[in-house]
Amino acid sequence: MTFLELTEGPLWYVAATVFVVGAAWRLLGILRFGRKPDLSVPRASAAGGAIGAVIRHSLPRHGFAERTAYHIIAGYMFHLGLFALLLFAAPHITFIHDRLLGVSWPALPRWGFIVVAEVAFAGLIMLWVRRICDPVMRQISDADDHAGTWLTFLAMLTGCLALQEGNDVLRGIHMLTVEVWMVYFPFSRLMHAFTFVLSRGYMGATYGRRGIAP
Amino acid sequence: MTAEKAVDAFLGQIDAAVASYLESCVHCGECAEACHFYEVTRDPKYTPTHKLKPMVRAYKRHKAPFSGLRRALGIAPSEVTLEELQEWSPLVYDACTMCARCTLVCPMGIDIATSIRKMREGMVAAGVAPQGLVEASERALEKGSPLGVTLKALKKQIADQEAETGIPVELDKKGADYMVILSAMEVLGFPEVIGALSRIFKQAGVSWTIPSAGFEGTNVGVQLGSRDIARELLARVVNAAETLEVKYVISPECGHAYSALKWEGPNLMGRPYKFEVVHILELLEQLRAEGRLRTKGKDGRRLTYHDPCQLVRRGGLAAQPRSLLHQVADGFVEMDNAGLGNYCCGGGGGVSSNERAEELRFKAFAKKKEQVDKLGGVEAMVTSCANCRNVLEEAVDEYHMDLEILGLTELLAEYLDDEAA
Amino acid sequence: MILSRLWRGLAGLALVLVVAWAAAAAWTGALDLDHGAWAQNQGTVPGNVHGTSNDADFWRQIRRGMPGKVSIPNPQAGVLVQSQGDNWRAIRNGPVLFYGGILLLASLAAIALFFLIRGRIRIEGGRSGRTIPRFSLTERIIHWFVACTFILLGITGLFLLFGKHLLVPIIGKAAFGVIANASLQCHNLFGPLFIVGIVAMFLVYLRDNGFNMVDVRWALKGGVLNSGHTSSEKNNAGEKIWFWMAVLGGLSLSVSGLMMEFPWWPTLELLQWANIAHVVVALGLIAVAFGHIYIGTLGVEGALEGMTKGEVDVNWGLEHHDLWAEEVLAEIEASRTKRRSDGYVPGVQQGSPAE
Ligand code: SF4
Ligand code: SF4
Repeated sequence: MTFLELTEGPLWYVAATVFVVGAAWRLLGILRFGRKPDLSVPRASAAGGAIGAVIRHSLPRHGFAERTAYHIIAGYMFHLGLFALLLFAAPHITFIHDRLLGVSWPALPRWGFIVVAEVAFAGLIMLWVRRICDPVMRQISDADDHAGTWLTFLAMLTGCLALQEGNDVLRGIHMLTVEVWMVYFPFSRLMHAFTFVLSRGYMGATYGRRGIAP
Repeated sequence: MTAEKAVDAFLGQIDAAVASYLESCVHCGECAEACHFYEVTRDPKYTPTHKLKPMVRAYKRHKAPFSGLRRALGIAPSEVTLEELQEWSPLVYDACTMCARCTLVCPMGIDIATSIRKMREGMVAAGVAPQGLVEASERALEKGSPLGVTLKALKKQIADQEAETGIPVELDKKGADYMVILSAMEVLGFPEVIGALSRIFKQAGVSWTIPSAGFEGTNVGVQLGSRDIARELLARVVNAAETLEVKYVISPECGHAYSALKWEGPNLMGRPYKFEVVHILELLEQLRAEGRLRTKGKDGRRLTYHDPCQLVRRGGLAAQPRSLLHQVADGFVEMDNAGLGNYCCGGGGGVSSNERAEELRFKAFAKKKEQVDKLGGVEAMVTSCANCRNVLEEAVDEYHMDLEILGLTELLAEYLDDEAA
Repeated sequence: MILSRLWRGLAGLALVLVVAWAAAAAWTGALDLDHGAWAQNQGTVPGNVHGTSNDADFWRQIRRGMPGKVSIPNPQAGVLVQSQGDNWRAIRNGPVLFYGGILLLASLAAIALFFLIRGRIRIEGGRSGRTIPRFSLTERIIHWFVACTFILLGITGLFLLFGKHLLVPIIGKAAFGVIANASLQCHNLFGPLFIVGIVAMFLVYLRDNGFNMVDVRWALKGGVLNSGHTSSEKNNAGEKIWFWMAVLGGLSLSVSGLMMEFPWWPTLELLQWANIAHVVVALGLIAVAFGHIYIGTLGVEGALEGMTKGEVDVNWGLEHHDLWAEEVLAEIEASRTKRRSDGYVPGVQQGSPAE
């Protein structure tokens, strides 16, 4: 078995399983705590509040836009870039088609891929360098924050290196780093990719029923 | 030993909502940009999410998904210690007014204020709550009021107001529509509000009463972070209301009292009330809308409105005070961030009852001052929370500012058209 | 206010996008690593190409660089053999590589020697426990952004330059092929980000890096090498020189790098010089960067904090940058007095966050 076959075969299945089972376990583990019904008399709908909050907290906020512009810009650059790479890079679409869903959609042209990669990298580096030199972020950051950033960086980087697609070893290295990332994901703060719905939702529901949209 | 109690209490507070708050923080630090305590000190320890750290650690060690696996592998966060809790006490009690401003800016929508409220339960269990608050809660339990206001004192103030307005106030009137409760600060510092209510209600023809037991609206148990104390204090009000068989209880001009009575209350009691809770602002606005609040003339001063955090961000009362103010004021101007994003006075959440926090509280007022200064030429600031009002008055003195602090109800009563009936 | 900030942010974003697009266009158009080198049969002249014409003459002309006709728009493609290429290869693989390697080793040796003689330069007066702000958050972020891209580019660049000689004997040609391929992709990817960073760095740091007499005196006294006290401003002459090296070197790397990313734009000859310049400037910067990193971390106690926390100990400031530190302290004092005279200030001090 070649390195590529190993990473695209058994290791991929292991990583995918850990990722799916782990993430589901963690989400269910949080939901399992449940919530006592709120006995106070509501003023408005909790569900509406929850949905509103999930949307609102993706957007810059009036009165805070200036103070948080850096995070908003870098955050959007990185996240939008990452999703574009994840969903529209040609090899990913082929992989999704052949291995996962059996459907495919148009891919980014090569130049588009590179533009998006530059933007995503710039965003990720911007977020990380702030983490190491902003007193507030230094105060609250821990090893997990750095590990998550670095693994994401490596997964993205090896992906770009494998872009040539002519080289099995580079493709295998990309697969491997992505698999490490996937295994790390459920146990780390990378999970915010899913938990944000819970925290925004619960907060939005709590205040939504009071008729507030924080 | 005591740290263990704290950990147990932390864990006991965790439901899916709080767990999701403790799980989701991405350590971006945005919340600091919204917290007046961080903004005035620029000290990173005042970052809102950092204030929750011991509870996060306890949760991740003992209760979070995979915590067992982590402990088995020896990579769980270490046990919370008493020293740590002592170190955090000033962060949790002195440097958080549970104003919820940080939630506005948090990309994960984490409700820090609610989490701090829960965390305080553990701090109380460990005995690291500040002396000032503990004593206030003891006074509340023994004497019925955190400031030690007795029924005798209340009756004296009522008598004074009756003499002033010529309108009798009937205590314990069974079957009245509305039961008014007051905050200790109002009874002691701003008793004119009683007279104001008498006149307004007389004009509007509202049937109301004040209970002789359970007249205290402030719930120091909620601020301290003790469910038991909070429940006991709340029960006095609920019992009074249900004994007197009133239809509504009017939450006074006090932010935390409203949160405690309206939102947290039924959950503390474990049952819905047999009456409805209305905030005085809601009732006044309703009377105004129905044409039952008739005023004459307007205040010509340049004045602005300070939103009590618990009313605007955690209570949902932003429109009412504004439409009431427009009724009696010509020169009403809004501060930057007015409404949902308004800054805290610096003394909510029990901070004003906690002497240890005084210096920080005055510092935090700098944000409010900034807002007021930016408007320029403001002569008076209206608010609708007696605690805010007191904190603001003290801070204005401390900063040698020329700014009058007014209560909204009293301002309305001042322009009440007593002839119109 | 908010809008203007946001616009500025968006303008920055637009700049990134433009550079990224340019790089992408160039990269996709130009980079094709999959060509195998055409096999050449050494020494033999392919014969009888044109029937009656003299084959030797024909090939001589080609060897001298005579262009032929091509049907693609790029006329340079008509030149089959560009002889200067040999010179370029000889320079790049000969003296540049040799002396460049020596330069890097010498830099490391000098640092090691300096460390052995001088050891870690401690804060003489010990830490005062009070700090003063040194670099703003903007300055810090830009510094680290440039640092990140510089390190990524440096490592991949060194692989490309020395790998053939240092790595191939160890890991073999196949493995090096992978590394070289990856390094080139990586180098091209982060190059554009470095350009954005270095331009931002120039704009933000410029005002503290003008030279004056203080710097001359500082340099004459021997700067860091001098164990006695030498007065300096926020940046000493050494730091200012480093700033200008980084900016000018960085810009030259940017220009020569862009040429190589858009290889159809310059002439082949220019391209060859660009490559040599790129390598020489990069090696120079890396050699100095070693020193910069040493001084910033191990070499001088308390220096790194200025770039991480943004604050340095007052004693560190007074020892290394006295003129600047005194100025900052005076400013803090003045703003305090002003605030006091403006009215009551709660709390004793509101100066720096570390208080
Ligand atoms: S709730 Fe208010 S005081 Fe508490 S941390 Fe958040 S912003 Fe600060
Ligand atoms: S803003 Fe929210 S996610 Fe960011 S550090 Fe604060 S609490 Fe955590």
